[in-house]
Order: sequence, then C-alpha cells, then structure tokens
Amino acid sequence: MVAARQSQDEPVLEALGIGKRYGSVSALENVDFEAYPAEIVALLGDNGAGKSTLIKILSGAVRPDTGTIKLHGREVEFHGPRDARESGIETVYQDLALAPDLDVASNLFLGRELLMSGPLGLLGFVNRRAMRQQAEEHLKGLRVRLNSARQTVDTLSGGQRQSVAVARTVLWGKDIVILDEPTAALGVAQSGMVLQLMQEIRSHGASVIFISHNMPHVFEVADRMIVLRNGRRVGTLLPGASMEQAVSLMTGAIGEHVAGLPPA
Amino acid sequence: MAEPQPAPTAVVAPPPGTAAQKAVALVAGRWDLVLRLGLLGIILVLGAYFAIRSPVFLSVDNLQNIGRQMAVFGIIAVGETFVIITAGIDLSVGSVLGITAIVCALELAHGWPLLLALATPLLLGAGIGMFNGILIDTQKLPPFIVTLGMLSILRGITEMMGGGLDITFNPSGFTDFGINLTFGIPNLFLVLAGVCIVAGVLLHFTRLGRHIYALGSNYEGSRLAGIKVRSTTLIVYTISGLCAAIAGILLTSRLSLGDPNAGTGYELDAISAAVLGGASLFGARGTILGTFMGVLLVNMIANGINLLNVDAFFSRVVEGVLLIAVVWVDQWRKRRLAQ
Repeated sequence: MVAARQSQDEPVLEALGIGKRYGSVSALENVDFEAYPAEIVALLGDNGAGKSTLIKILSGAVRPDTGTIKLHGREVEFHGPRDARESGIETVYQDLALAPDLDVASNLFLGRELLMSGPLGLLGFVNRRAMRQQAEEHLKGLRVRLNSARQTVDTLSGGQRQSVAVARTVLWGKDIVILDEPTAALGVAQSGMVLQLMQEIRSHGASVIFISHNMPHVFEVADRMIVLRNGRRVGTLLPGASMEQAVSLMTGAIGEHVAGLPPA
Repeated sequence: MAEPQPAPTAVVAPPPGTAAQKAVALVAGRWDLVLRLGLLGIILVLGAYFAIRSPVFLSVDNLQNIGRQMAVFGIIAVGETFVIITAGIDLSVGSVLGITAIVCALELAHGWPLLLALATPLLLGAGIGMFNGILIDTQKLPPFIVTLGMLSILRGITEMMGGGLDITFNPSGFTDFGINLTFGIPNLFLVLAGVCIVAGVLLHFTRLGRHIYALGSNYEGSRLAGIKVRSTTLIVYTISGLCAAIAGILLTSRLSLGDPNAGTGYELDAISAAVLGGASLFGARGTILGTFMGVLLVNMIANGINLLNVDAFFSRVVEGVLLIAVVWVDQWRKRRLAQ
C-alpha cells in the first residue's frame, strides 16, 4: 500500500496502525502515515475522511486509541500539542498563530525573544535590532517579500501573513511543518506566494504536511499524496497521477491502490 | 537534505505596488506616533488657549499645582495601561487606592515606623492585584466582574476600618514629602515621572513587555507560541494593584490624612486617560507616554476651566467629548485600514 520511494531516506515521521473511535463512529482505522525529510506530502480526502483527526493526532491534540508514532525512528507519545511542538512538529493554523498588532520581527521571535548580552539581558531586555536583522535575513532567505520587518502583521496581506507564520516555524528549527488549509482564504497570487514558500522550506530540509481541498494547489507542490476515505488510507499518489485518479480514490470510484509514476 | 534549487524566476510576492499603498502602510505602522502627535497638538492648542485667557495658567505655582494633581491619578493610569494592553480591565484601582491610603494613615496614627507604614500598603496593593489576577486567569472569570466585585468589597472594608471618618496623624517628614519641591519640581510629580520611566522601560524594552502586548493581540496564539500567558496575566494585575498602592500612599502624604472616600471614581478617569493616550480596550495598543499625555490633558482641562471661572463640571463634559472623539478617530482609521 505504501508507495515505493526513490529516496533511501528513513521517514522523519511515521505513524503505524493509527485508529481512533468517537463512540461508535470509527474516525480512523489502521492508518499508516509517513513523511520523509525535505518532502511535501499532501493529505487528501473528502469531508469526514479522517484528515483532521489524523492531523490532530500527529500534532498531539488528540491521542489515538491504537497505533504508534515514530519520530526519527524512535517511538514517541504525545500528551498534548506542547509535546509535539517540543519534538519539532509545528502546526500552522490559519490566522491563529500571529499577534496582528505586533510587527513581523516580534512575531517571528514571539516567545523566543533575543535578549541583550550582559546584565541588561539578565534583566530581560530584548535586543530589537538583532531580532529585526535576523528576521529580515531569514525572510530574505525564504524569499518572502515584505516592505519591512517593522510592519505590524495587520498591515500584511493574507498571503504575507501566512508566509510569516510558516517562516516562523522554520526559524524555530521545526523540521516537520503541518499546514492546515494554508491557501483556503487566499487569492491566486497570494496562494502562489504560500506554495512557493512551502517549496522553499522543503529545500531547507523540512518536511511539509499539506492539507488542502484545492486539488490544483496540491498537485502543484506535493511530492506524494496520501488519500484517505472513510477513515482508511486508500492509496498513495505520486505527481504523475491525474486529478481524476485522485478524485476517484477520494470518492471510492476506484479501489485501493497506488497510482502515478514515480518522479523521474 | 535537498540540493539547493536553481533560483526561481518568479519572486514570491511583489511588494504592494503603488506609492499610495506604501504610504498607507507606513502611516498604519506608525499610527501610535501619529496619535501621540495629535494628542500633543491638542495639549499645545488648549494650553495656548488657557495661557491667553488666564495669566495665571503658565505661572510656576499653577504648573506645580498641575504636576501635583497629575501624580496620584497618573500613577493609577500607568498601572491601568498594563491591564488594558492585555485586553483586560481593572475597576478596583480606585478602591485599592482607598484601602491602602487608610491602612497607611492608620499605621501612622498608631505610631508605626514609617518604613512599615509604607511597606504594608504596597504589599497589600500588590497582593490584591495578584488575587484579581488569580481569579481571572485560573478561574477564568471576566476581569470586569472580578475587579468590579473587588471595587465594592474593598470600599466597604475601607469605610468599616475607619468608621467612615478621616484618619488623622501627626505631620512628619512623610507629610512634608507630598507638599515639598525638589529643584522646583513637586516631589509627587517626580514619583510619577519615576513610575512612568520604569513602566515605559518594562513595557517597551523587555521580554515581559513584548509578552504583554502579544497577550492582548492574540491570547491563544501567544499560548501556542510558548508564552507563559498565565503568569503574564498575574503580573499585569499585580502591577496595577501596586501602582494604585503607590498612589494611595502619595495621596495620604499630600492630604496629611487618610480619607476613606479617596479614589472613588478614579478607575474610570484612569481608563479614559489611558484610552485618550491611545490604549484600546480590545488590547495590544497603548503606551506609557500616551497615557502620560492623556493624564496631562485631563488635568490641564480641569485646571484651565477652573481658572477661567467656568463651571467646574464643564471639564467633565469636555473630557467625555474628547474621549469619544479620540476613539471615533481610531475606529475610523481601522475601517480605512480594513478596506
């Protein structure tokens, strides 16, 4: 069921046999999931397919009834979102993460402020200049274009905001970034900005788990697509697959299988 | 690790195009500055008007008088600013002032050492603030209700403690302090200036200050970012209580007695001064400099109207109109920004 992958890499995140029931309803049944380093893996599925339950389990918000999660080959157990975050898994929720009244640099360093050196630092004085400079360098490295790191987030476009939220996860050294519908509220150009940034952070070695209803967006950037239906993993698609194949898998018009050509 | 990719030809996002858009973004980013300059303009224009209409207004005596009057109410407003920035509210500050003033006066009347008569009200004020904070952030009670309840509780206790009467004590260096000047500047004003500097540095240059703004801007996001939102809330209400206690001590020193009704209604004045200075009850906006200017403006209006022999109650009218006007301008800006 799992696609043969060209890369010899071990998965950075691996979930095996995940099951979750809510009362008599089975949200997930024996689902495997894996994300490799420097990869964009998309999670596809119709409403109710179990995408959000799986994401909540991977980000520590929900505990699975069965199954194990392995991070860098080691089994882990998340007791809450904090555990997952501390292990390097960051989930970016639309518009939830940023403080709109603070400037971009402050947001990038939110909760991780750089302090002055020496006694002032011990007193909790922040080094604004260093934060601004590093923020600008970091955004430049990820090709995120802003007027200035001093702009407050509420003056940014939706795409820029999303970009800042994503850029922050990388700055914080997260190697697994979960993006839940990052382009849902965005226009064409704005979505393009976010998709480009996803590719940029992949090239920095991070794995991106991408959940979206927007099939063209998924096909534009994903290295692999994992399809869920009725709480089960019904297939894996590679970029050579067609959107029709994806839709048939999602809706159950065709059975479980692996489709698409491995990337050349 | 992936190999470095060839530089993409398309750049992620073209920055907003026109010069006009950039100008809007610039003004929006500097809005606090624009607002402060506007407030400064109002202060200067009104000041000039009072100075022309009354020769006394700019006299040294009168300026010292304004400085003294500002101090008590200003220190409360500084503490209130911390709370407002977190999108909270502290209605108990007037009553904290009242109880700390009475405690200070009672201790002095019973001949307690000065150090103790200063330390107990400060600890009491900070403790009440912390208690407010605990109810708000561990029990998830609305700040408005918690501090409104505390307003009533503390005022009741204060009246019971002194039997509703003024508490008198012998004049001393403590009472001189509230009346005397240092280099021509009222001591009380110097305390206000000191409080403002410490508060401003704390708020604008330290990590705690950042977290206070972040909390008011996006509580859940701050929590997710790993900010200790609970202890930050606690600290903010403690600061507010402490400031009210400082104000209570200063008022006792200035009046040379403990007045059980002291501070009644101050909470609303403090809130309106902070809001005049650019603080928003929705959180994340407000500065110490702005609050200072708001306090100055309110006191100047009261003083000037008094000097012009206009009905003193008219100053309340002017304050109210200004308050609504300033918030209206701010909302108008927000609507423009949203477009």
